[in-house]
Amino acid sequence: MNENIPDLARIANSLRADVLRMVHVGGDGHPGPALSVADIVATLYFSVLRVDPERPDWPQRDRLILSKGHACPVVYAALVRLGFMPPETLGTLRCLHSMLQGHPDMLKTPGIDMTTGSLGNGLSIGLGMALAGRYSGRDYAVHVIAGDGEMQEGIIWEAVMAAAHHGAGRLTLWIDNNGWQSGGRVAQIAGLEPIGPKLAAFDWHVQEIDGHDHEAILDAAQAAAAIADRPSAIVAHTVKGKGVPFIENDNSWHKRVPTSDELERALVALGEA
Amino acid sequence: MVTFKGTREAFSVAMLELAEQDSRYVLVLADSLAAMRAARFAERYPERVFDVGIAEQNAVGVAAGLASCGLIPFVATYAGFITMRACEQVRTFCAYPGLNVKFVGANGGLFAGEREGVTHQFFEDLGIMRSIPCITIVTPSDPAQTRQATHAIAQVDGPCYLRIGSGREHDLFKADEPFELGKLRVLAEHGGGEDVALIATGLLLNRVQEAAERLATEGISATVAEVHTLRPLDREAIAAVARRTGAVVTIEDHNILGGLGSAVAEVIAEEGLAATLVRVGLQDVFPESGEAESLLDAYGMGITDVMAAARRAMKRARAH
Repeated sequence: MNENIPDLARIANSLRADVLRMVHVGGDGHPGPALSVADIVATLYFSVLRVDPERPDWPQRDRLILSKGHACPVVYAALVRLGFMPPETLGTLRCLHSMLQGHPDMLKTPGIDMTTGSLGNGLSIGLGMALAGRYSGRDYAVHVIAGDGEMQEGIIWEAVMAAAHHGAGRLTLWIDNNGWQSGGRVAQIAGLEPIGPKLAAFDWHVQEIDGHDHEAILDAAQAAAAIADRPSAIVAHTVKGKGVPFIENDNSWHKRVPTSDELERALVALGEA
Repeated sequence: MVTFKGTREAFSVAMLELAEQDSRYVLVLADSLAAMRAARFAERYPERVFDVGIAEQNAVGVAAGLASCGLIPFVATYAGFITMRACEQVRTFCAYPGLNVKFVGANGGLFAGEREGVTHQFFEDLGIMRSIPCITIVTPSDPAQTRQATHAIAQVDGPCYLRIGSGREHDLFKADEPFELGKLRVLAEHGGGEDVALIATGLLLNRVQEAAERLATEGISATVAEVHTLRPLDREAIAAVARRTGAVVTIEDHNILGGLGSAVAEVIAEEGLAATLVRVGLQDVFPESGEAESLLDAYGMGITDVMAAARRAMKRARAH
């Protein structure tokens, strides 16, 4: 077992706690989708990505694009924890003149590699970054995190086809497959299953993992990095709202502000009280 | 003297010139290599061509990614597929983050879209791009100016839109005639040019020059001014011309809503100028297929339409 695993579990819950505090203080935001992707975000930022808080524009850095941009509080929390921004920034989510916009803004927030928020667009941009890396002779990796619901967007499949055609080997697509979208169950609104075989049919390297198992996330990241000649997808099975029992699989938390009482109970559940 | 077979080839030649100077210039295509006359570029710089197939949204997204990593991508395909199909990608992922992406839209207007019909005639592109903040917008009027304009936008650090045509444009300018980004250019002042200002943009400039000459034979003194840059708009020079003549006609191969006519109307109204305005362009209708020159004639952009508009603007000015 990787020695970082216990740490990653602790960090992920700490990021979850920060998300709920941020949304509570800021008065707006999307806790459910941020909690479901917290383990992937924690593992990537704290064990996988080559980034440097002192040099957010470092050309050789690995890139992370949060295509499901509404989950950004969890990335903001990770960036603060890494030292890209001071901790007090977290109290300003979605507030006027804040560095922390409602959806990621690469010009306002150090450490954000790409502006995102309108769904479906991250993969095309990630493909562009990967192609730029190859053209420029830089070996950085590009990670794109998408929600399962956003796989309904047409541009995603344009990018899926083009990435395979161009053999974009340093590109990894993480699908936070929590089964929910804003309006309800993905399966009921416009079902996508089987996502993995669909991507495999497009000639992607595909892995399916438990998106809350840090060791599985690390192993999948390493396996993806070893695939040099085609893009890689990791279908991560997750629970929306993971880590806080009364938020898990309750889609009213897609966008909802916790009361003081709810925040307190959530922090207890996360071991962060 | 260098001559080109139309604006598409002129753009392509400029791309080769840019690529020779700087390895950051790359081309993003949506199965538009042939349409954009880019075969020579692809032969010379195959590693600098990113063709994603018939998928314009993806093309613009890919360009955003390339630009975010320091390259200077030119996305070149049909104007409407960039400004309409990929509008959100242009706006949110290129313009909003201020990325250095250049958009080159072919078939701008009826003259360029001609026989293809409405699906390939793009007369909303300038209005759409004007409504998105921060995009430099240029509409050169001939092939030589297209080459110069391509070099000019390459020097801008930020998103730019270059509107070009089909390949059968008239040659109006000398090859080395400068293209001064953001500046109105006075081309003629017939008999002093104080009766009426003909302010034009794009590939029908030749018609405007002809209209001004014919007006001169009727004793009407017209100023011919070209506004080839819609953003940044040369508000001061437009206001000066409007102030001097008191009667303005705008001429563009575009819907009269949103493009040059709207931009000039904004200047006249906001500066509180005592000037009348008549907008020559597509009169807010859908056109049809047809031969290029006859299409412009049929849809209100004929030489006689420009002349009639000049007389109308002057008549209204006198009535004030």
